[in-house]
Amino acid sequence: MPAEIKVQLAVLGAGPGGYAAAFRAADLGLKVALIERHAALGGVCLNVGCIPSKALLHVAGVINEAAHAKEIGLGFGAPKIDLAQIRKWKDGVVGQLTGGLAGLAKKRKVEVVRGEAKFSSANAFQVEHDGAAVSVQFEQAVIAAGSAPAQLRGAPQDARVMDSTGALALADVPKHLLVVGGGIIGLEMATVYHALGSRISVVEMQDGLMAGADPDLLRPLAKKLGAQYENIWLGAGVREMKAAKNGVQVSFDGKDAPKSAIFDKALVSVGRSPNGARIGADAAGVAVDERGFIKADETQRTNVPHIFAIGDIVGEPMLAHKAAHQGKVAAEAAAGMKSAFTARVIPSVAYTDPEVAWAGLTETEAKARGVAYGKGVVPWMASGRALSQASPEGVTKLLFDPETERLLGAGITGRHAGDLIAEAALAIEMNADAEDIGLTIHPHPTLAETLGLAAEVFGGVATDLYAPRRKAKTG
Amino acid sequence: MADSTEVHVPDIGDFDAVEVIEVLVGAGQQVAAEDPLITLESDKATMDIPAPRAGTVEKLLVKVGQKVSKGTPILMLAGGEAQPTAAEKKTEEAPAPAPAPAKAPQGDAKKQTPAEPTPPAPAAASETAEVVVPDIGDFDAVDVIEVLVSAGQQVAAEDPLITLESDKATMDIPAPRAGAVEKLLVKVGQKVSKGTPILTLTGGAAAPAAAEKTAPAPTPAKTDAPAPAQPAAAKTEAQRPPPLPHPSQLQRTGEAPHASPAVRRFARELGADLARMRGSGPKGRILKTDVQAWVKQQLSAAPSAGAGGIPPLPVVDFSKFGAVETAPLSRIKKLSGPHLQRAWLNMPHVTHHDDADITELEAFRQSLKAEAEKDGVRITLLGFAIKALAQALKKFPAFNSSLHPDGESLILKKYYNIGIAVDTPNGLVVPVIRDAERKSISELAREMGDLSARARDNKLKSEDLQGGCMTISSLGGIGGASFTPIINAPEVAILGITRARMTPVWDGSAFQPRLLLPLDLSYDHRVIDGAEAARFTAYLVKVFGDVRRLSL
Ligand SMILES: Cc1cc2nc3c(=O)[nH]c(=O)nc-3n(C[C@H](O)[C@H](O)[C@H](O)COP(=O)(O)OP(=O)(O)OC[C@H]3O[C@@H](n4cnc5c(N)ncnc54)[C@H](O)[C@@H]3O)c2cc1C
Repeated sequence: MPAEIKVQLAVLGAGPGGYAAAFRAADLGLKVALIERHAALGGVCLNVGCIPSKALLHVAGVINEAAHAKEIGLGFGAPKIDLAQIRKWKDGVVGQLTGGLAGLAKKRKVEVVRGEAKFSSANAFQVEHDGAAVSVQFEQAVIAAGSAPAQLRGAPQDARVMDSTGALALADVPKHLLVVGGGIIGLEMATVYHALGSRISVVEMQDGLMAGADPDLLRPLAKKLGAQYENIWLGAGVREMKAAKNGVQVSFDGKDAPKSAIFDKALVSVGRSPNGARIGADAAGVAVDERGFIKADETQRTNVPHIFAIGDIVGEPMLAHKAAHQGKVAAEAAAGMKSAFTARVIPSVAYTDPEVAWAGLTETEAKARGVAYGKGVVPWMASGRALSQASPEGVTKLLFDPETERLLGAGITGRHAGDLIAEAALAIEMNADAEDIGLTIHPHPTLAETLGLAAEVFGGVATDLYAPRRKAKTG
Repeated sequence: MADSTEVHVPDIGDFDAVEVIEVLVGAGQQVAAEDPLITLESDKATMDIPAPRAGTVEKLLVKVGQKVSKGTPILMLAGGEAQPTAAEKKTEEAPAPAPAPAKAPQGDAKKQTPAEPTPPAPAAASETAEVVVPDIGDFDAVDVIEVLVSAGQQVAAEDPLITLESDKATMDIPAPRAGAVEKLLVKVGQKVSKGTPILTLTGGAAAPAAAEKTAPAPTPAKTDAPAPAQPAAAKTEAQRPPPLPHPSQLQRTGEAPHASPAVRRFARELGADLARMRGSGPKGRILKTDVQAWVKQQLSAAPSAGAGGIPPLPVVDFSKFGAVETAPLSRIKKLSGPHLQRAWLNMPHVTHHDDADITELEAFRQSLKAEAEKDGVRITLLGFAIKALAQALKKFPAFNSSLHPDGESLILKKYYNIGIAVDTPNGLVVPVIRDAERKSISELAREMGDLSARARDNKLKSEDLQGGCMTISSLGGIGGASFTPIINAPEVAILGITRARMTPVWDGSAFQPRLLLPLDLSYDHRVIDGAEAARFTAYLVKVFGDVRRLSL
């Protein structure tokens, strides 16, 4: 590789944000370099995030389904778990996707530059790899350096104390796993290890699991986990974590948690911190806040107008689909288009069992902000499809503006909730109101039907449930 | 209990003077408790009033069409079981009639279980009453998972009192009325059913706010066997649905423009502010076309915009130069003006001039004149012109056409209708003579006379003015040497005629006095080119010059 590369747009980081930005910019005719320190493209999401976790959750799902098959008259016996094969399959899925990305980059003539990058000026990155350095000079740049697992202060350097990446590596199945942090990532990994046979204890600082989701949506999940897991300590924290001979010794604060306990392994999933402090942003004059976030405006520009920032590094929610969407906005803005990030909702999904998904206004938020709303709620016990596929634990909830009756937010718990929430997201972006949704014929019997039904419940016109409106609508 | 009692219309909510649309029982009929007696219909809903208990209908006190309200006697019920039904009992215990699920309510009405069979005075304000679990559907022995009030606490009507959880759902039981909780009669973990006393309520409003009570819409729960109350977990999980906030108490969210993501992007590209637009789509949805229209309007509204289009004529104050008076344009001028302007602006006009020698034609016309006048017909030159033009159109089909709106093809007409521009006191009108090629000169002359007369008398019908293929504008009666008529769009040509004059014409050896008729052919140059126009006019000249051809 030459010592110097000149491009119109340099993209730092090849995660879902970075590669989307690079590819879109190339399609718009810019000469683009995509800089990534890892051999594989795809960033956290493809390599150690969304994709491997979903692969392992699929494994867990199969195990759980087989275990419940007895109820429907099928006996499978205890599964024979071949960890090496599971790892191989998961890695194969990841490899297929990251390999695909490399092909896409090549087709578009995006120059992939391997190495650790730092700004050397407002118009160049210094990229180092294997002792060699390349200067990537750019007219414009996109920072898509993502985030890394947040550390637990005082946690020992020990193979038995893992972050999400360690957990996804699936070195073994510990007898008793402590999950520190009951957010989406922690609970997804807990789901995997529980299915594989670990006993699980969860410790969470907040008073509820998965901050951000409405409590009524979490209820079916919390009930299930409450029955499955050894302990769920809420409002409790880890005071100290020590590597002991026979396990990880952890002492806790909090009224329900024990003073101290020993675990075979611990997963630290206490959030993610942005990589903003590690890219030499000073040299370019790009402002980074004390936590490592880089602020961007709605065209994804930083305080330095020709440098954009997208994805996890610009703030919450740290989600792949947000990163990709912002990546395209940045690329288009860099190419001179008048694009901006103006999406009204960014759906969140926890791929737990059952799944929990929400988009737009939540009830918790509505109450905190004093936003008026009306709602339509459908428990999945009323869904023929949910019952006939033995997954009745679920709920679909839609929140509407009481005056315009437009959809403001949606929450769904249950199997495939993550897929179902997309309809609500579209409805919100399109300003659909309760009638629009209720009058759209949803196929029967499907889980998606519960969205139509929830709109009807709000409108007081549902027939599949007895939930008349409190007040007559007309008059 | 053999005594007969009056059955009254129970509390049916916010309704007053509701019409009885059906009486479902007759005198002497046996009814069971809950059997529907009559059907009421308000403007919002229909509802059945059920029998409060079993018995025999002794006498009907209402009839169809009558308007009833809460308390109106419906009928006299005799006999039946002495024991009040469970529903009744409950009603007496707590002035909160539990709703029975409506079978087929129209709108949002709920069926109500009846109020007291003999209407007792409502519980006095300070009286203590037991609040019981209302009809909660098909549930029995349901767990109390949360008690939301405590003794001594003031509650408002509708405030949740306890939360129940079955294997299917959780639900809050609301207070039937305002009051103070005197004593709690249930605790967490206890199993309750319809009718189980929850607490005693004292004071507060006496009137039962029962009308709208419904079993609350269930919130979901898992379907596993109901877990015994699990204090810690249940606490956090038993999130009860909050009562809906009253919109008026809360600020409105900043209303987002009613536009899809693609339209929002489009508006951004054009720098158009969606908040300032009105949508033309359903429910005011802003469409792409609305954005375009708005931008156009902004551009045209912008003063001194150097944009294209036709610069307006300057406004002049003529009174500076002398006395003026404003007279309104006639209706016809107001209509024809824009039509002419559109034609002039849309079609590239070219006018071709020629003279036709009509010396012989005129001699022929004069010879016919006397004879025709006996029949009351004036044979005019225009009659010959119509005939000549119809023939020319037959020979040159391009002149008998219109340009397709897509600009890619010609619509050729197989009929020959000639429009005649007629000058009237109110302005220009163009009646049409149909199938001119088939009519004789005298027929054409007669029809022309009729049309002109009706035009001047303002008696033309709209069909008289439609369907023309090409128009003749004749100024022959007035004078002039030539002019450039404007095509009567969407026709593609127009024939102007001015006054024929005797002119010396060189016949090769001498000047001869010949009567020449000036012809002015304006044509749409997109459809017709100059040579074609010249040939067309030459043909007309020939026809005018040789009367025999007119009869071919
Ligand atoms: C276990 C787990 C599960 C998840 N599941 C989901 C999910 O189901 N759905 C979802 O939407 N999101 C999920 N996420 C979050 C998702 O992975 C992130 O939001 C997403 O990857 C962010 O994309 P990004 O482009 O901003 O950054 P990243 O994906 O973090 O990519 C940044 C890239 O930049 C590179 N980089 C950073 N600094 C440098 C440097 N100095 N030089 C060179 N290269 C550098 C990194 O190596 C990395 O490849 C999950 C995350 C985890 C950890």
